[in-house]
Amino acid sequence: MNPLIFALATVRERRTALAGSFLALCLGVAILSASALILLSGGSGVPGRYAGTPVLVQAPKGAATDGTFLDRAPWSPQRTQQLTRDLAAVPGVREVVADRSFPAQAVRDDGQPVGEQRERAREGHGWSSAALAPYAMGEGRPPTNGQEVAVSQDLDLPVGARISLLTAKGPEPFTVTGTVDGPGYYVTDARAAALSGGVRVLGLLTGPGADRRAVAAAAAKAVGASGTVLTGDAREALAPVQDEKTRWIGAQVLSAMAALSGFVTVFVVSSTFAFTVAQRRREFGLLRTVGATPKQLRRMLYGEALAVGAVAAGAGVTLGALFAPALGDVLVDAGFQPEGFAARIQLPVLAGAFGIGVLVAMAGVWAAARRAARTAPLDALREAAVDDRPPSRARLFAGIGFTVAGCAAAVGSAVVDPADMVSLALLTAVTLITGVTLLTPAVVPPLVRLVTRPLARRGGAVALLVREGMLTAVRRTASTVAPVLATVGFVVLITGNTQTSAHPYRTEEAVSVRAEAAVVPHGTPGLSDAAVARVQGAALLPTVLHTDRAPLTAAGIDPGSFAAVNSRLKVVSGSLDGLGDGLGDGLGDGVAVTESVRRTLGPTIRATFEDGRTETLRVAAVLDDRSSPYQVLMGRAAVRAHDPAALTEVVYRTGPRTEVPGGHEVSPAAHAGSADAEEDRLVWVFTLLLVGLSAGYTALAVANTLLMATADRRADFRVLRLSGATVRQVLGVVVGETVFVVALGTLLGGLVALPSLLGIRAGLSGLLGVPVDLVVPGVPVLGAVGACLLLALAGSVLPTRAALRAG
Amino acid sequence: MPTTTHPAAHSALSQRPVELTSVTKRYGTGGSTVTALDDVTLSFAPGTMTAVMGPSGSGKSTLLQCAAGLDRPTSGSVALDGTPLDGLDETALTLLRRDRVGFVFQAFNLVSALTAAQNVALPLLLAGHRPDPAAVTAALAEVGIADRAGHRPSQLSGGQQQRVALARALVTRPAVLFADEPTGALDTHTSRAVLALLRGLVDRHAQTVIMVTHDPAAASWADRVILLADGRIADEITTRSGAETIASRMAVLEERA
Repeated sequence: MNPLIFALATVRERRTALAGSFLALCLGVAILSASALILLSGGSGVPGRYAGTPVLVQAPKGAATDGTFLDRAPWSPQRTQQLTRDLAAVPGVREVVADRSFPAQAVRDDGQPVGEQRERAREGHGWSSAALAPYAMGEGRPPTNGQEVAVSQDLDLPVGARISLLTAKGPEPFTVTGTVDGPGYYVTDARAAALSGGVRVLGLLTGPGADRRAVAAAAAKAVGASGTVLTGDAREALAPVQDEKTRWIGAQVLSAMAALSGFVTVFVVSSTFAFTVAQRRREFGLLRTVGATPKQLRRMLYGEALAVGAVAAGAGVTLGALFAPALGDVLVDAGFQPEGFAARIQLPVLAGAFGIGVLVAMAGVWAAARRAARTAPLDALREAAVDDRPPSRARLFAGIGFTVAGCAAAVGSAVVDPADMVSLALLTAVTLITGVTLLTPAVVPPLVRLVTRPLARRGGAVALLVREGMLTAVRRTASTVAPVLATVGFVVLITGNTQTSAHPYRTEEAVSVRAEAAVVPHGTPGLSDAAVARVQGAALLPTVLHTDRAPLTAAGIDPGSFAAVNSRLKVVSGSLDGLGDGLGDGLGDGVAVTESVRRTLGPTIRATFEDGRTETLRVAAVLDDRSSPYQVLMGRAAVRAHDPAALTEVVYRTGPRTEVPGGHEVSPAAHAGSADAEEDRLVWVFTLLLVGLSAGYTALAVANTLLMATADRRADFRVLRLSGATVRQVLGVVVGETVFVVALGTLLGGLVALPSLLGIRAGLSGLLGVPVDLVVPGVPVLGAVGACLLLALAGSVLPTRAALRAG
Repeated sequence: MPTTTHPAAHSALSQRPVELTSVTKRYGTGGSTVTALDDVTLSFAPGTMTAVMGPSGSGKSTLLQCAAGLDRPTSGSVALDGTPLDGLDETALTLLRRDRVGFVFQAFNLVSALTAAQNVALPLLLAGHRPDPAAVTAALAEVGIADRAGHRPSQLSGGQQQRVALARALVTRPAVLFADEPTGALDTHTSRAVLALLRGLVDRHAQTVIMVTHDPAAASWADRVILLADGRIADEITTRSGAETIASRMAVLEERA
């Protein structure tokens, strides 16, 4: 027969029972499709600054820059000149613009900066860069000498106004010669060259009628391996690396969300199907008697899953497509996606999500279908209420296997790299939850007996009924315990994990800094040299060194004051006194590097600086890996000499307090915190998203299972009433069972989460050499348990009351 | 393959729709074995109606389950319509049952998700055939409820449900129809109607019917009554008899026990 016809009839008949599977699938597919749409929507598009330039050339991607979120190395000044000449000769090219950026911000008369700029923002450019957008001249004229600037018309500055512009050196006087209809500060190209580092982008402005593809092809031939030619949508690659990092974090969030919802969907769908199959044993027996082969029963259940899966996935995909744009906006607001990001609706992505949804439904029904196929024809004749058959051997083996794997993953998270710790912790949770869930039918009866023993001896009829009811309907009890277990397990694990690993880093950095206060930028991209000069203490001037391996994070310091402030700094060999000032070329430039850098790069390092020039650096000191926040330390003057745009990110003040324009003071501890605060906030938002998701899902499963189970027990309740039980007593039995089941799930969930939390704690302690507290935040955990309990009570008491009234 | 021949012709070809040879069925293992059937040899003539009676625990349901291939005997052999059941795997057994055997139980006979007509068509659908709507309607008309074809079981009375179950059991034209307490859940009036229907099938279409019952009034419709006690054939009435006769023979049996 065509199993689908029959399946459709059953789906129609059993829509209440299948509602849980349907909702779970629909939600899962909605989350999956929305996540996938956002993940595959690409970045924020071509940056507005380059929108009007048909062809651009970007400096080549160095070796192994993936995952570091550092800019690629700029061209050397000679190479920039050479490329500019070569590209200008390409047919169709009208002008080649070397795009330069540097920190620039207008300051008011009181020294306070105008507007707010993000850290590491680079708002200053050469005048010719304005043509890349292009931004049109509003009033006045372009700057013609070094002290002139054209500014955004949003600043409302009149032509001829005299302003101070905050650059890396400090506030400098400029005269406004004109306004443009875009953001930024535009000085002469010569002045821009002096204020910025090397060039990474060359814009090719084409003449009228030039074919951009032909120009791009010719440009590619001209630059060869010295650059990447970008045209059309590929120009998106020019977005700031900061955006790339944001998107990377966003991708982590979305993939974790999708993975978690995938797991929970399979979990909920399979437990719902397992339960419906147990309930329908009699029906399957009848079908077997009438002539259905085991294979036909299996196909019938697959048919049901297909019907439910197709409808649910269809609804989910629709929901996902509707909500993806809103979710995209939320992610932008939360800082998981760069400004200007918008989700695009892509049909292949939706089709894929639909397919996955149907597959998940099929996977969820797999075990249940095998079970249904084993139904004997005689089951049609048996009373169905008592369901105390022991779980199958295969289930026990699988349960033990998963549990052991989970414990192994927990042990693993104690020893692996901290970067892998979180994913391993998630793996631990997933495997342990699966394992313990498989084992629940075996674990529940002894646990119930143990816990209810005092009740059974002294309690009244209600206690007796609760105890025996749970023991005889093991599968029902197990089906309800499982989702509670999963919810509590996930919530405890995810929140505990985040809190436990966030705490030690912060305390450790705070105790290692000996300073009165930390002076940090406030509304400015960084602290200028002038600002730093006003504070007595240790300043950090970060820059990036490009090598033939991965780029290195570096900072310019003053050796004496830096060592005085950083008690954690451990010099393994050599001395910080040997750091060069960078003014003498050649081998005079001594630097301090971490042990791992020394190991990979050797005693001398060929490094390209931010200005595109390459120097040979001599390792004068080797630092303990964990004691230095940067891979390379060098003299402050050396950084300044090679990176005119570098800005100081923090000064640890040891002297008296002073006012710093564009900066403010925080305690060293708060700074240690705030350095991670943004990241912590993102992680916490992320955590709550995951927690809310898994909790919402599984709570759904709890309510659904109880609803189905209670609907099935009407006959029982009627018998109870006829035997003289009051309505209150019957409800008491139901409440007792529900409370007990939720408590059991909470207990098992807590037990499941513990190994991986202990693993993380052991890993962190070993890594940092400090004792780490196990932190389990009470509010989310109690909230999740409370929500489970409320939903479970609603899912059992309300239908019971309705049944009692009706009967 | 369901047979398309007329049941009478079909039955004439195979002399014995059901044969049991030395069938023993024991439940449980070790010390606590219960012998439900003890070396029973029995055969049923085509086109007759047989009632199997006995006190509870006498093994009458086990006899029916073994004879119908729903359960496997511990020893001995069963042949359905000439085909020995030993050595058939679960699927082969299912296919044989689907073609040769019809069932009617005391209750829970119908799939609640399907209409009466769909329930009747179910065995044909399961066999992979496109059911002929006329045949389904004819089967429903045969049991007198053609007007209820579109109703679901929850919309039918107990008697109507049993009629639908009968129609379903007959739609494949089985060699033998097993009925396990078919009137056990019905009132006297409805019982009589269902039994009259069964009898009519035997008389008009030479359908072989084997019915388990504890009710002498139901057994009085049968051509032959087999009385079981402790898993053995204790007594047998080979002609159609009144309910009083059967009841008194039962009473003798129960006194002996």
